[in-house]
Order: sequence, then C-alpha cells, then structure tokens
Amino acid sequence: MTEVRYATTEQVLTTPNHLALIHYGDGEMREKVLDFLGPALDDPKQAVYLCGPPGGAARLLRFLERSTGRDLSAEVNERRIVLGHGDRDADQQLQNLLDPVRELCERGFALVRVVGPAAWEVFGYAAPEDFLWYESRVLPGIEGLPAAIMCTYDAAQLPAPALLYGALETHSHTMINGVISESPSFLPADRYLKTRLIHLPWLEPEEQPQEITSVREVGPARGQRNQTR
Amino acid sequence: MGSVEVSRATVGLHRGGIAVVDSDGNVTWTDEAWAVDDDESGLPRVAIGSNLLQAYRGYSDPRAQAIANAIVAVFEGTVTYFEIEHRPERESQSAFVTSVAALRGDRAGAVLIHKVVGEPTPPQLRPADARATNGGPTGEGAARLTPREREVLDLMARGLDNRAIAAKLGIQYTTVRGHVRSVVEKLGARSRLEAVARAYQIGLAT
Repeated sequence: MTEVRYATTEQVLTTPNHLALIHYGDGEMREKVLDFLGPALDDPKQAVYLCGPPGGAARLLRFLERSTGRDLSAEVNERRIVLGHGDRDADQQLQNLLDPVRELCERGFALVRVVGPAAWEVFGYAAPEDFLWYESRVLPGIEGLPAAIMCTYDAAQLPAPALLYGALETHSHTMINGVISESPSFLPADRYLKTRLIHLPWLEPEEQPQEITSVREVGPARGQRNQTR
Repeated sequence: MGSVEVSRATVGLHRGGIAVVDSDGNVTWTDEAWAVDDDESGLPRVAIGSNLLQAYRGYSDPRAQAIANAIVAVFEGTVTYFEIEHRPERESQSAFVTSVAALRGDRAGAVLIHKVVGEPTPPQLRPADARATNGGPTGEGAARLTPREREVLDLMARGLDNRAIAAKLGIQYTTVRGHVRSVVEKLGARSRLEAVARAYQIGLAT
C-alpha cells in the first residue's frame, strides 16, 4: 500500500484507491484537482494520467500549466504525465485507462495519480449506464497497483439522481466539501451490476397502462380513524 | 468543400483551444480556452447538441459549413470551445445570420458556444429520454443469438470486461468485441448494459 497525500488536505488515502469528488461547479473541481495532483507534479517518482471525455485531458493539462505557471511539456514528452481519452465503447474506455496505468506502474513510478471528469450526454462518449459499469470495474482493475484515481462529478450538472447514486456506489471513497470518507454506499462490482445497474430507471421495461374496464364507487372507509390532535 | 478539409487539417494541429468563426466563415484558433471557461469573456453561452450541428449542416452557406466544422471539431475533442463573431449590421441579410442572432439572444457581440451535450437520438440517448424508446424486453432478438454470443452475453451479465471474457473463452479480444456488438444489436439495445439488463429481463441471465 502506498500513501496518497494531498497538497493541502490533511487526510491521507492508501492505494489502490478510487475516489469520487462530488463538487459544485468548475471552481471547486479545479481547487480539489490541484490539491490532488500538486504533490505529483513536484515528485519525479510519481506519474499522472489525465483522462475524461473528448478534449478533457488537454483541458486538465492546460489548467495545471496555468495554475502552476509551469510548462509541463517535458513531463508529457517523457510520459510522466500521460493524456488519455474516453471512448464510446465503455470496455475500450476501461482498457484506455488500465493499460497506461499498468504501464506507468511497471515503469517503476511509486504512485500513479489519475484524474478523470465524469461526463454524460457527451457526443462520442459512453452511454450513462455503460459509464457507470466502467466506473464499477475501475477498482478491480487496479487491484494491487499503487494507483489513486479521482473521478470528478459536478453535482450541479448531473442530469439524473441515479448518476449521483452511481458515483457513491462505484467508488470506495468520496470527497464532499473537502472531506474524504469511505463511501457507505460502495458496492463491489458484481453486486453493483446485479442489484443496481441493471435496474437503473431508464433500463426498466416501460409499464403498459392498464385499460380501465369498470368504475366502482367506494363508500366511506369503515372502522375508526386515527386520532389526531 | 475545400474549406472543410482545411478546417479539419487545421484543427488537427491544435490541442484544445477555441475556434473562432467570423461572419465571413473564416476560422481561426486561439489557446484561451481556460480564460473563456473562467467566465472572463462575459459572453452568452449556448450548449451544443447534434441538432445544432444538423441545423448548420442544412445550410448551403459556407459560413454555416465553417461553423458546422467547428462543432465537429468540438465533438471530436480537438477543440473545446468556439465563438461565433457576430456583426449586427448583417443580421437581417440572411437566414443564417438570423439564426446566429437567435442563438445570441439579446446580447450584442459574439456568442460563445460551449459544452457538448450530445445527440438526442440513439445511440447517445439522455437518461430521461431513454425509456421513451426502450421497447422493453423481447425474446425475438434473443432467438437470433448464436451459442457463442449467448456465452458472451452470460459473461457480460456477470460483469466481466471484454479482456476477461476473451481469457475465459480462450478467444481473441477483438473477437469478443465483435460478439458484444452483435449481442447489443440483436437485443435491440443501445448500450452494453442495456443488453445485459434485457438479458435479465427475459431470463437469459439469472
């Protein structure tokens, strides 16, 4: 196990770790991402993998460069910072994440930090249910690796509550208002699939409305009513 | 058509940034995405959907094609944001400019189009819309599954990824990908997980 320290947050995680940052808006997201990635930028023994929806990794890199006032192209060229990308095929997206993380670990980096913004309704990106399946497979995929993965969920942008539940159920840890906690809702991947994922509201078969064949007038209810004050 | 190729070649040279399309259809790129993202531009924002792309594709005006190309660049991830510079004096001269003005709202100046919101039609349905076209469980597609596809579906339903399925069945990873695509298609699903959900609903998986 490797300790994962933050630039300012005093809490410490251990690897492997899959953390959901639940935030409101871009400002909080950037602050927390910098808090998470900052120590890796200053430590040549650590590597960074940036991913997300199309264009997301490049945006994150530009943000890091602007925030730190550093040109990170040397780190990118030597692949200490690796830019990845998501995929419409969630399985391919999973391989896009796991292959470079494994490669970085095999190259001897003591810790690989990953940041990936969660996204929905994005052209060329996985359907929401497939994205959640992908999320559920991340932690098993990095088992035994010195890797810490932070997925950012903008609570202000989530189009469906089920996606927020999904974030809580597929990540072992959460960071909300800067506080890291074990997710009490976390479910192992297999259990998550059978008890939650296949029952997402939009995957359930649509109930056909029953035809009304007769109407019966119902009289007043019998028996005592509950007493209220 | 030439401008399409030029635009794509140009965006390929840029990593991120903003595509600025002026009223003459000229496209230039800047590297100020974060400045814009920080709300420093003060410009009104409009979300991009595929319907917007289709609307611009529908115009023969080369300026509209230039904007459509910029939207494609955003979809492809080579450009994150783009602006359309708007010249008010031309507003009434063409339907194209009028449509830009509609996007712009009442504010003068440029409109900043940002944020890809996806296409409202399959295969990228929004969760809220997905149920509307979900035909519900059906055994028709299941009957067309080959024995190997049923094996693959069974392992998909256990949550395995393609690499694990390939290892389990002793077949190539790319072969598994093909089987997964076929399963999804035959079950009339829009995604891997919808196929799995249907498999449970019609009793193919337990």
